[in-house]
Amino acid sequence: MVRIAFPTDKGGLDDQIYPRFGRAPTFTIVEVEDGEIKDVRVVQNPGSISGSGAGIRAVQKLVEEKIDIVIGPSPGPNAYMALQQSGIRVVMILGVTVREALEKFLSEEKK
Amino acid sequence: MFRVTVTGGKGGTGKSFVAVNLAIALTRYYEVVLADVDVEAPNDYVLLGINKLENEEPIKVFLPFIDTGKCTRCGVCAKVCDTGAILMPPNAYPVIFPRLCSGCKACYYGCPYNAIIKGYHVLGYTYYNKLLYNNKTLHLVTGVLREGEEHTPPAVLATRKRAENINGDILILDTGAGTGNQISLSLQNTNLVIAVTEPTPLGLHDLLSILEVVKGMNLGVWVVINKYGVGDPSRHLEILEKYGVEKIYRIPFNRDVVETYIYGKPIVLAKPSSIVSKTIYDLSIDLVKVIGGG
Repeated sequence: MVRIAFPTDKGGLDDQIYPRFGRAPTFTIVEVEDGEIKDVRVVQNPGSISGSGAGIRAVQKLVEEKIDIVIGPSPGPNAYMALQQSGIRVVMILGVTVREALEKFLSEEKK
Repeated sequence: MFRVTVTGGKGGTGKSFVAVNLAIALTRYYEVVLADVDVEAPNDYVLLGINKLENEEPIKVFLPFIDTGKCTRCGVCAKVCDTGAILMPPNAYPVIFPRLCSGCKACYYGCPYNAIIKGYHVLGYTYYNKLLYNNKTLHLVTGVLREGEEHTPPAVLATRKRAENINGDILILDTGAGTGNQISLSLQNTNLVIAVTEPTPLGLHDLLSILEVVKGMNLGVWVVINKYGVGDPSRHLEILEKYGVEKIYRIPFNRDVVETYIYGKPIVLAKPSSIVSKTIYDLSIDLVKVIGGG
């Protein structure tokens, strides 16, 4: 099973991927097993309301949620370092919905 | 020590020009301490014609280090960090992002295992130059933030502290532009604010901002309208009346200012009989009436 997080606004499979990582209002977390969606949850991103260190707080939330992969925009420099330190893989897909990004990601993983 | 803060909101209105010349004018009566707390771009020393800042002291700010012998990876430090500068990764010790750390020590006090080692990093430097005018000393304290630093307030505080420790009769704080927390740090516990503005729409806009801040902090304010004669100051004057500003000084837009700038010598010394110098002397005399002594 893999847990994938997508930075989103309101959240959900049909929401657009949010163009900024640390300041995204929510993360849509999708659990995938054998290429099938097992669970979809939306969590608030504490980074969206913090004065500074938004990227770090966002990554901390993903660590707590035991996330394996983030799919979204290119993270900022602090978030980049934090993701590396936390062993979370980053895949850059933008301009589509969560569902479309997930499908694209899964089909590329199959190859 | 009587404290005066020279500020104004907008950049380039002549805050440092007024602060430096006022400081020299006041040496006729007092031992003056001038603190250049515009730490991002301090230049009072340039206006005073000083070549070199002296008596350097580092501004040290707390920076945590993790004692991996004591750390249990409980994650409390990351939770209490107000700036989000500590990450608790899944399989490692806490990771500190020095650029984000404000030096507040919450992690140091919050750690249940005393696993935070007190380190520091150098945010910038303060300098002290001793000058002599009118047989009185002008003590100049200058704060300089290191390039790339994101936290200005600790540098402002350190500069102010060094200036407050000098035994003078009057302290003049020369702030940078803006109305943020680094400016309000220089306004705190001050006896009088001198806001320098100019008769332009930008000057008006930022004058309003600074008057609001000053009002919110319950401080008395005098206003200097610099470059008087260009632009339309009527809205400025309306607003100053509305805010009940009791003293307004008009420094005319005058060639003497530019000429003395070129000589690199303060106008009250280079052209003491100029109308510009006269306005600054008027201001200094009104201050003496408030402060007394001298």
